[in-house]
Amino acid sequence: MAEVRRKSGKPLQVNPHKLSQPMGATLAFLGVDRCMPLMHGAQGCASFTKVMFTRHFCEPIALQTTAVNDVIAVLDGGDYSISESVKNIGDKIAPDLIGVHTTGLTETKGDDLRGVASKIDVPLVYVNTPDFKGGLESGWTLTTQALIDQLTAPCDRVEAQKIVLVPNVSLQPIEVEKLRDFIEAFGFNVVAVPDLSSSLDNHLGEKQASLSSGGVTVAELERLADAAFVVSVGASVKPVGAVLQKKNPAIQHRHFDHVSGLVGTDALVAWLLEASGRDALPAVVERWRKRLQDAMLDSHFSIGQTRFLLVAEPDHLAAMAASLREVGGKVTLAIATVDSPILGDIQADQVVVGDLEDAENMSDAYDMIIGNFHTEALAHRVGKKAIMRGFPNYEEIGNALKHDVLYEGGAYFLFEIANAAERMREAQVHHEREQIKLQGIA
Amino acid sequence: MSSKPKIKELLVESACEHNKDKKGSCNAPTPGATTGGCALDGAQIALFPFADAAHLVHGPMSCIGGAWETRLTPTSWSGRDLTQTGFATDINNNDVVFGGEKKLAAAIDHIVANYAPEAVFVYSTCVPALTGDDIDAVCKHRSEKHGIPCVPVHVPGFVGAKNLGSRIAGEAVLQHLIGTKEPEESTPFDINLIGEHNNTGELWRYRHLLEELGIRVLSTFSGDGRISEIRTAHRAKLNVIVCAKSLISMTRKMQEQYGIPWISCSFYGKTDTSAGILAIAEALGDADLIERTRALIAREEARLEEKLMPYRAIFAGKKAVLNTGGNKAWSIASALQDLGIEVVATSVRKSTEADKAKAREYLGENAILMTEPATQQAKIIDETGAHLLLAGGRSLYTAIKKRIAFTDVNQEKKKSYGGYDGLLVLAEDLKNSLQNPVFELVDRKAPWQK
Repeated sequence: MAEVRRKSGKPLQVNPHKLSQPMGATLAFLGVDRCMPLMHGAQGCASFTKVMFTRHFCEPIALQTTAVNDVIAVLDGGDYSISESVKNIGDKIAPDLIGVHTTGLTETKGDDLRGVASKIDVPLVYVNTPDFKGGLESGWTLTTQALIDQLTAPCDRVEAQKIVLVPNVSLQPIEVEKLRDFIEAFGFNVVAVPDLSSSLDNHLGEKQASLSSGGVTVAELERLADAAFVVSVGASVKPVGAVLQKKNPAIQHRHFDHVSGLVGTDALVAWLLEASGRDALPAVVERWRKRLQDAMLDSHFSIGQTRFLLVAEPDHLAAMAASLREVGGKVTLAIATVDSPILGDIQADQVVVGDLEDAENMSDAYDMIIGNFHTEALAHRVGKKAIMRGFPNYEEIGNALKHDVLYEGGAYFLFEIANAAERMREAQVHHEREQIKLQGIA
Repeated sequence: MSSKPKIKELLVESACEHNKDKKGSCNAPTPGATTGGCALDGAQIALFPFADAAHLVHGPMSCIGGAWETRLTPTSWSGRDLTQTGFATDINNNDVVFGGEKKLAAAIDHIVANYAPEAVFVYSTCVPALTGDDIDAVCKHRSEKHGIPCVPVHVPGFVGAKNLGSRIAGEAVLQHLIGTKEPEESTPFDINLIGEHNNTGELWRYRHLLEELGIRVLSTFSGDGRISEIRTAHRAKLNVIVCAKSLISMTRKMQEQYGIPWISCSFYGKTDTSAGILAIAEALGDADLIERTRALIAREEARLEEKLMPYRAIFAGKKAVLNTGGNKAWSIASALQDLGIEVVATSVRKSTEADKAKAREYLGENAILMTEPATQQAKIIDETGAHLLLAGGRSLYTAIKKRIAFTDVNQEKKKSYGGYDGLLVLAEDLKNSLQNPVFELVDRKAPWQK
């Protein structure tokens, strides 16, 4: 088991990779079709968030702000700025849902969100997400809970084939789609909540959309409670299961910490066989399992001699560490954005909640880095190689279509890491050869 | 005395043309219909290029999580590049309840001990502004303790937009840094470049030409800037504002306090670069310098023209629609005209009155000044038969629907289009856009679609 340090002990973050709770909330609302996320704070909170996701996904991002100014910050309890925002949004466009989420500013002044929301008669979901608490994962989870709590109608029967899938925030759009298709191959109908797979999946839409264009619909959200199962993937979204069960106690909750690598995917398959009553895998799933097995053998030599630093959200760390560990990768250090119950289960020598300054100070511990785009500059400084994963990635395009999970994505992931590790060592060998040549000449 | 600037005063700048006939400010943003960054964002843009200073954001992660290491403002500073280093106090629940002053002080200590900056800028954000952390006191105390300037920058997002933040940043530098040190030597041709952020290395496209003429850049605010230099800025003979209307307050005050005159220049395109360099020489008022400047301009323009020859045929008869903000409405238009491209329309949605007048002057009577480009530009492309749209990413759809070439003019661009050589880069990019089949092809109907 990993040695875990849950607090940084520093008075600041240097080169932070942590992202805020309202940012996670925005992203969750973007997984609802025809939604306008409305961030309740100063205009900068929404602007920074919008710029970040626009650059990460290379897509226009729907997001509005209540634009709290100095006067409103002192005099308004949220009534004016929220209801005025809803009116102004409605003047231009008719969203199916407005997703109000708060920030540190409006939580510090103590706005009564529930009270304000009760006076507004357009479809609206609200969630308290101060950015001085939690992080990206908790913002996503709180919003998912709010969507279900405030929209889903109670129900007293279940459809045996219906599954509600709750992905964690680090699953990229294509991974949500692959996961849904995977489960549906066993005969189920899946509704993902939230669902980024059709909204932020790098598709060229019919026209420039001013709302989220794709995702779970409000009608689907209202009818979630007739599902036979709710399946959560990632420790951060585990609490969502209970929220849906409140709408219908007959719903069964099945939780997976991740669906990465051979063992992780096997666990999902074993349960799907049991839940579906089938005794054989779909042919395509069986084929991909064999390909992953082969990929594991092909990649073990390279990955097995590499020491990794992982920098990510807690659930993402758990998933990537599991994949690498299966082929002998040594995850010597994992740096999490925030504390999480999953930290103790991450297959790494050392797990810390920290920043990239911590990573820099411990650079003797690893050869290769997997993390967001900030780790590229870190890699240059400490003379290592970095592979981009996680939010945000401004350096590369195609982030929404990176597929690392299940048998199929697991194979791609291992190939990419093994190849990069080989190239890194090749560069080192080349460098050493040049040094020897130079010495020979001298 | 509090270092908090008087917001009203900053909003009604007497040196701005438009404030002569406008009553009060209309600063309040519209809830639910506002885009653009806040004061903190503007202050970061203005000050982050100082690579030898640490930039500590006293706030939660929304204020910096996605916003550090995002701007390409390169530096020649040989120490650690603090422009690309993110520092944040990451305010938590505890700090909201009990106050964050101790944490802030400890954060400054950590930075000074580990990164040896020449100064620390401390950016106040919404939450500590509401809870009432005394940032001035912390900064004052830490400045004395560490012997380096710790500069409070009061930019909670609720005070206003980017533009205001940039002014507040100017105010902070004026109050805490400028005039706190004497330069080792003075020359008759010392200038400050104000508002030049060296985005994508733009400053480096023309700085060497100034130096060749014997014009010394005493300090910059703040591209490739040094704290030790900005502290001596009061000894310059001239302030040159580079494409940054928002810093007029700063230069006006420097004129009042230190008697430094100021001019405003753009270094986009051949015409403006030449005009800019000449304007500096003329403002410095030395006959010999002016003569040498004219010679240098003639040489550079001839060199450029030769290199542009292969592009002339490609751009002949081409028409462009430009949809960008502020002074870019005319500065990029001017660069396009230098390339022989006709600019048939430009957006003045976010431009000042002066920028609008300038756009009209550059583009001529027949060009369209778009006030609502989002709804106007598609129609204008049809009417004018434009071949090229230069705009931010959101307008890409317009280009592919109209099947014309598109070039992104966002500031996040990785290349510099500034100065004489930047025009060559722009020419190459525009050529690549015009010749790229993707805009024609990507939105085609599939064979089975009717």
